[in-house]
Amino acid sequence: MTDAIVRFLQLYQQRLIVAFATHFLYVLISVSIAFVVAVLLAILLSRIRGLASVLIPLLSVFQTIPGIVFVGILFLYNGMTASTVVIALTIYAVFPILKNSYVGIIKVDDQYKEAARGCGMSPMQILWKVELALALPSIISGFRISVVYTVSWAVIAAMIGMGGLGEIIYSGIMSNNNVMILGGAIPAAIMAILLSRLIDVARSRLLPRSMRRGIT
Amino acid sequence: MITFENVVKTYGDTRVLNNLSFEIAAGEFTVLIGPSGCGKTTTLRTVNRLIEPDSGRIFINGQDILQMDKVALRRSIGYVIQQIGLFPHMTVQQNICVVPKLLRYDKSRCDEIAHEMLSLVNMPYEKYAHKYPYELSGGQQQRIGVLRALAASPPIVLMDEPFGALDPITRSILQEEIKKLQRKLNKTIVFVTHDMDEALFMADKIIFMEKGNIVQMASPEEMLENPASELISSFMGKRVRGSDQSQKTAADVMIPNVYTCYRDYGVRESIEIMARRSVDSLVVLNPDQTYAGTVSVRTIRDDAKQHKTIETLIRQDNPTVFTDEDAQECFQKLLDGSYGYLVVLRSDRTLAGIVTKTSVARALADLVWGDNGSDVI
Repeated sequence: MTDAIVRFLQLYQQRLIVAFATHFLYVLISVSIAFVVAVLLAILLSRIRGLASVLIPLLSVFQTIPGIVFVGILFLYNGMTASTVVIALTIYAVFPILKNSYVGIIKVDDQYKEAARGCGMSPMQILWKVELALALPSIISGFRISVVYTVSWAVIAAMIGMGGLGEIIYSGIMSNNNVMILGGAIPAAIMAILLSRLIDVARSRLLPRSMRRGIT
Repeated sequence: MITFENVVKTYGDTRVLNNLSFEIAAGEFTVLIGPSGCGKTTTLRTVNRLIEPDSGRIFINGQDILQMDKVALRRSIGYVIQQIGLFPHMTVQQNICVVPKLLRYDKSRCDEIAHEMLSLVNMPYEKYAHKYPYELSGGQQQRIGVLRALAASPPIVLMDEPFGALDPITRSILQEEIKKLQRKLNKTIVFVTHDMDEALFMADKIIFMEKGNIVQMASPEEMLENPASELISSFMGKRVRGSDQSQKTAADVMIPNVYTCYRDYGVRESIEIMARRSVDSLVVLNPDQTYAGTVSVRTIRDDAKQHKTIETLIRQDNPTVFTDEDAQECFQKLLDGSYGYLVVLRSDRTLAGIVTKTSVARALADLVWGDNGSDVI
């Protein structure tokens, strides 16, 4: 077994590095776009609650469509490009961030908004300094969920031949090579763990002491 | 000076403010009071335009506030709410400096303000400035709530039931603090409450509202003497009627602050206490605070030389009553016996106070004054 691993690493080192980097870029780009879109959308929905009660259930249903189906459809319209992968991943990554941010914002207690208004904050200042600041723990946990999920979802890039660690996993499946399957899966798992650790560290740096309570 | 001119506010079919016109003088502590739904909070919130009236005009120092920029107006008026509303993600200092920062004061000025403000309520800067609200008690939180309202030195401060969520003891401490602070800083304070005791204690002027109208606007003394309506009388219930005499107990007519000594005190020490307080006897306590007896200057003088401590001089024949004893019985005992006072004990035999002829007289005077000299006696 050890032999097999060593041989695999020797043979596929180059390919593994490229696949890892590609995979990481897909995650980075789609989660970044998703973050901006989701937070903006959450702010919008928190202002128009009626819309939220329609849109959020709709999106959660959409979330249950398997990624493969969705990538397949998108592939028909958008072709075999990296943008197809990024669009698909982004759309999936939006939901956890959106939901958490939305809940975080609407759960901000009225007393803080009332106090902020009474202090003479403008609506924009209330949004930034009070609502988003207080929703931050929730926004970050949504972001963390999206990052971890997207690392595993990015495997589907290989479905339309667009690289990433999925490519190695699929090659392994096709050739019935267990070492190769693990060779793709383990780096993906490591990536997910490292990224979520990184977010945890960033969170404890970002949040004031009073808001780190009760979060593990 | 705050002036309301024919201010009307309607929600659906209900008129919450019915053509209100009144004036609040600068530097005055005005309390808005009334049953819930009377429009007191709505009135308060129109002053900083958290609520916009449907019609009418409101002036601050002659300036029509409805023509002013809302945000700028609010920055120039302090605002304290019942839920306190300190921002949980900000430290005490950051909370205090919210308005100064909105007004773009520089950092050193903000630091200065935080120091100054915390010293107003005797909370040491080093100890509290960098704490978060959750690390403070309710009373401390509301002190910071008040400081946040005062930080940018607004001439007017609005307070919406600021002590409503606090326990009675903290509440009365804060009432005193705020009253002192208001006198010291000479602020115009508009204060909403539904607690008449609070209103009577705090107010220079009380505005009593009912169903969107002002029923009476008067000083506390005047309102006590001439309540304008049944409702106001009932709000001031216990103050006005003073309840009837038969319900009074020893606890109501006693003096709670009594000069005491312990049974192991020296004779000289005890005489010293009596001399300093100008009394001729002391209540003696056991080390566990329970009642041991009394010691009077006469017995000490008779045979003081032979004794080192008062232990052997303690007499137990002074009449005692418990706190729930009927006040009239107490008075009878006092008149019957040859003793100057009754010792009042709690059920666990600790000392509650003493009843003297003077203290009974004072309780009666309260009754007379409270009921405006009418029928009880």
